Amino acid sequence: MNTLITVSLLGIAAMLSEVFRFKKFIQTVFIAAVTGATGLAVLDWGTSYSYFRFMVLFDDYALAFSILFLVLTLIWLLLSQEYFCNENTRADYFALISFSLAGAIILSSFSDLSMFFIGIEILSVSAYVLAGSNRSDIRSAEAALKYFLPGAFSTGFLLFGMALIYGATGSFNLSNISLWIIANHSNLPVMVNAGVVFLITGLLFKIAAMPFHNWAPDVYDGSPTPVTAYMSTIIKAASFAAFYRLFVSCFSIMADWWTPLLVIAAAITMIGGNITAVYQNNLKRMLAYSSIAHSGYLLLAVAAINQLSKPAMLFYLAAYSVASLGMFTLVNRMGNEQQLDKLKGFAHDNPFYAALITLLTLSMAGIPPLAGFFGKYYVFLSSIRSDLIWPVIVAVIASLIGVYYYFRIVYNMYSKPAASAHVVSLSGFDKSAILITALLTLLLGIAPALIADII
Amino acid sequence: MNLTLLLIIPLLTAVGVLFCRNAQQVRWLSLAGAAVQFILVMALLFAFYAARSNGNTDAFLFSERCMWFAPLNIQFITGADGISVSMLLLTAAVVLAGVLVSWKEETMAKEFFFLLHLLAFGAYGFFISLDVFTLFFFLEIAVIPKYLLIGIWGSGRKEYSANKLALMLMGGSALVLIGMLGMYYQSGANTFDLIRLSEVHIPYATQLQFFPLLFLGFGVFTAIFPFHTWVPDGHSAAPTAGSMFLAGISMKLGGYGCLRVATYLMPDAAAYYAPYIIGLATIAIIYGAFATLMQTDLKYINAYSSVSHCGFVLLGIGMLNQTAITGAVMQMVSHGLMTALFFAVIGMIYQRTHTRMVRQMGGLLKAMPFIMTVFFIAGLTSLGLPGFSGFVAEMTVLMGAWQNPKTMYRIATILACASIVVTAVYILRATGQVAMGPLKQHDEPLNDARWYEKLAAFILIAGIVAIGVAPFWLNDLITPGAKIIMQKIVSLSR
Repeated sequence: MNTLITVSLLGIAAMLSEVFRFKKFIQTVFIAAVTGATGLAVLDWGTSYSYFRFMVLFDDYALAFSILFLVLTLIWLLLSQEYFCNENTRADYFALISFSLAGAIILSSFSDLSMFFIGIEILSVSAYVLAGSNRSDIRSAEAALKYFLPGAFSTGFLLFGMALIYGATGSFNLSNISLWIIANHSNLPVMVNAGVVFLITGLLFKIAAMPFHNWAPDVYDGSPTPVTAYMSTIIKAASFAAFYRLFVSCFSIMADWWTPLLVIAAAITMIGGNITAVYQNNLKRMLAYSSIAHSGYLLLAVAAINQLSKPAMLFYLAAYSVASLGMFTLVNRMGNEQQLDKLKGFAHDNPFYAALITLLTLSMAGIPPLAGFFGKYYVFLSSIRSDLIWPVIVAVIASLIGVYYYFRIVYNMYSKPAASAHVVSLSGFDKSAILITALLTLLLGIAPALIADII
Repeated sequence: MNLTLLLIIPLLTAVGVLFCRNAQQVRWLSLAGAAVQFILVMALLFAFYAARSNGNTDAFLFSERCMWFAPLNIQFITGADGISVSMLLLTAAVVLAGVLVSWKEETMAKEFFFLLHLLAFGAYGFFISLDVFTLFFFLEIAVIPKYLLIGIWGSGRKEYSANKLALMLMGGSALVLIGMLGMYYQSGANTFDLIRLSEVHIPYATQLQFFPLLFLGFGVFTAIFPFHTWVPDGHSAAPTAGSMFLAGISMKLGGYGCLRVATYLMPDAAAYYAPYIIGLATIAIIYGAFATLMQTDLKYINAYSSVSHCGFVLLGIGMLNQTAITGAVMQMVSHGLMTALFFAVIGMIYQRTHTRMVRQMGGLLKAMPFIMTVFFIAGLTSLGLPGFSGFVAEMTVLMGAWQNPKTMYRIATILACASIVVTAVYILRATGQVAMGPLKQHDEPLNDARWYEKLAAFILIAGIVAIGVAPFWLNDLITPGAKIIMQKIVSLSR
C-alpha cells in the first residue's frame, strides 16, 4: 500500500513540477521515489493487508509484481534517457509514467472488480497518451489512435463482463464472487459464463493475444521506441498479473469450462505470432510479433491454473521483460528505420555488447542456461501438470519457429557491414542497460531459485 | 578425481579467451586450455582404471551431487562409467586437435575460440551428467555455438546450412524435452536423477509412449534416418574445426543419449522398438554409403560417409546385446577420431588448393607428402582396414549383431557388412584421384603441413592406432558399462 501511495504522489509531484519549477530535478525525484517504493514493497514482504474496505489486497503476489514493475521501470529509465531530454514535455512524461505505474500496481493487488477496472483505465489512458507522445511523427499519432480505439472497445467488453458477473452474483468483491460460484457450482446461470467470456475477450485484447492482436504491431511499431519498450514489458506484465489474479481468485472452480478457450487462444497466438515474426525484416516489428508470441506462452500458464503457474508467470514475465528491455535499447539506437540489415557490422565495432545482445536474444528464444529457458520450462511444466499435453507440443514447435528469427538477429549482427553503411553505436546509458539486463538474464538462468519460488 | 574440473577448465578458457589482447594470446591460451583438459581426462582414465582394479564396482564412479533448483527437483549430479570416460577421451582429443587445426584463424579469433571452448564445455557437461535435466541443459549449450560457427566462419551456403542444422538439432532436443518431462511425471518417481530413474520401473505404456520421443530426439544428433539431412549441409558449410567438432563430438552426443537415457531408462520399450531402430540404422548405413558414391566434394564425401558410419552406432544399440553395445560405443570413439582427422586433413588440403572438388585435384602426394599420408590413414580407417580403429569397432558391432538369430536381424547384419565394400569403393576412388596422377594445381604454392597441423594429426592418429592395435583397453573400459545397461534389458524383459 505504501508503494502505491508513493507512486501516486510521485505522479502528482511530477505534474506540479511544471508549476513550482523543479522540472530539472524531476528525474532525480523519480528515481528516488521509485527506488523508495521498491524498498517499501520489500519491507512489506510476507504481510498481507487489505485496504479500502477489501478493495485492494497487498499479498506476496501483489508485492512481487509491484517490485517487478518498479525494477523494470528503473532499468527502462536507462534506455529512455533521450526520450526525457525535451524540457517542455519532460514533466508530463514522468507524470504519465508514474500514473501508469500506479495503475500497474493496482492491477496486481486488486481484490474487487471495480478496482480492477480503475487499474486498467489508469494504466491504459496513460499509455494511449504515451503512444502518441512523439508529436512530430505521424506514425506516433497513428499509433495512439490505433491503440485508443481498440483499447476503448475492449474496455467496453470488460465492463460488460463485470456487469454480467455482478448481475449474477450480486457482488464486486472477488472472494464473494468466488464463494457464490462455489455455492452455485452445479447450476450456474448462463450470465456467469457469458460474463467470463466477455472478460476473457477484453483481456485478450489488452494482452494482444490472437485473434485480438491486430492493433499491436502498428502500435508497437509507431510509438516512440522507449514507449514501445514500456508497453511490451511493464504494461504487458501488469495485464497478465491482473488476468491471473482475476481468474485464479474468482473462476478457478469453473476452470474446466474456460481453460479450452484460453488454450486455443494461446496455441494460435504462439504459432501465429512466431510465424508472422519470421517474415519481418524490421527489428522493431519483429519484436512486436515476438511479444505477441510470448503472450501465448504466458496464456498457457494462466490456462494451466495450478500451484506452479503463479511462479511460472512471474518468472516468465521477469525473464521476458528484462531481455526485451535490453533488445529495445538496441532498437532505440537504430533510429527511424530499424531494418535488420542495419545491424551488420555491429559485432565488429562492439564485440562485447554484441555478445551480450546475443545472450539476450538466446534468452528470448528460450535456450539454456538463460532466464528465458527456465521461463518456458516452468510454463511447460505447469501445463503438463494440468494435463495440457498437446498445447505444450504446440508451444515447443512454436519455440522452434522462434529460434529461427531470433537467430537471424544474431546472424545479422555478426555479418560483414555493407559498404558505406552507418553502424549502430551505443551511448553510455545504453551500454549499462544492456549490461544490466544481460547480467540479470544470466543470473536468473543460473540461479532460477532466486525468484522462482517466492510466491 | 573431481569431474567438475572438466567443466571449469573449458569455461575458464572460454572466458579467458575473451580477455586476450591479440590472436597470438588467444591461440596459446586455447592450446593451454585444451592441453589441460586432455591431461585431466588422461588422469581420469588412469584414476578410473585404478578404482576399478581396487574392486570398486559402483555403476558410476566419482559421483557427486548437489541441489541446483529445489522447487523443480533439479539436481546437478556428476559421475562417470567406462562409456562416459571413453566419450570424454574422444572429446578431449578432438578439442585439442581442433584448436591446433584452427591455429591460423584470424577473423574474429576471440569469438571463434570462445565458441569452440563453449561447445567443449557443453560436451563435457553432457557426458558427465547423471541428471536428465542437466544432460538436456548441456545438450542445448552444445547446439548454439555450432550455429554461430557455421553462420559466421562458414563457407558456401552458410546461412541456409546453419539454420537447417540449428533448427533440426533444436527440434531433436525439443523431442528430448517432451520425453524428459513425460518421464518426470509419468514414471511416478518425480525426479530427473538418472540413477533413481533407473531403479524404478517405468510403466510399460509410458515407456512405449516416451521412448520414441527420446530416441528420435537424440537420434537427430546422430543422424538417424530420415533426420540426417542436416549432416551433409552442416558439415560442408562449417569451418574446419567446426566440422571436426560437429562430426567428432556433436554426433556422439546423440549416440550417448540414445544409450544412456533412452535405452538405459526404458529397456522394455527399447526391446519393443528394436526392429524399427535396426531398420532405420540399416537404411542409414546403405543409403549413406551409396549417397557417398555420388559425391564429388571431399567434405560431402565425409559427411555422407558419417551418416553411414553412425548407422553402425544405432545398429549396435538396436541389437541390444552386450557385444553390440560395446561395439556401438567403440564405433562412436573410432568414428569420432577418424572423422575429425578426415575433416582436419580436408581443411589442410582446401587451404592450399582452394578447392574441395575431387576432380579438380590430383598428384598431391608429391607436393605434400605428409598431408597425403594422413589422408590415406583417415581413408583406410574409414574403410575398415585392420590395424586401425574402424575395423575393430565395426567388427565388434557386426559380431554382436550376428548373435541375434532372427532372420530380419541377419539380413540387416549382412547388408551392413556389404556396405563396407561400397565404402572401400568411394574411399579408394577419392584418395586415388586426389593423391595420384598428374599434379593439377600448378599456380598454388603447395607447401606441406606446418607443425601445428602435424601435431593435430599425430594426436588423432595416435588414438586411432592405439584402438586399432590394442583394442582391449577400450573394450575393458566400455564392457562393464554396457553390462549394466544389458542387465536391465535382460532382467526386465523376461
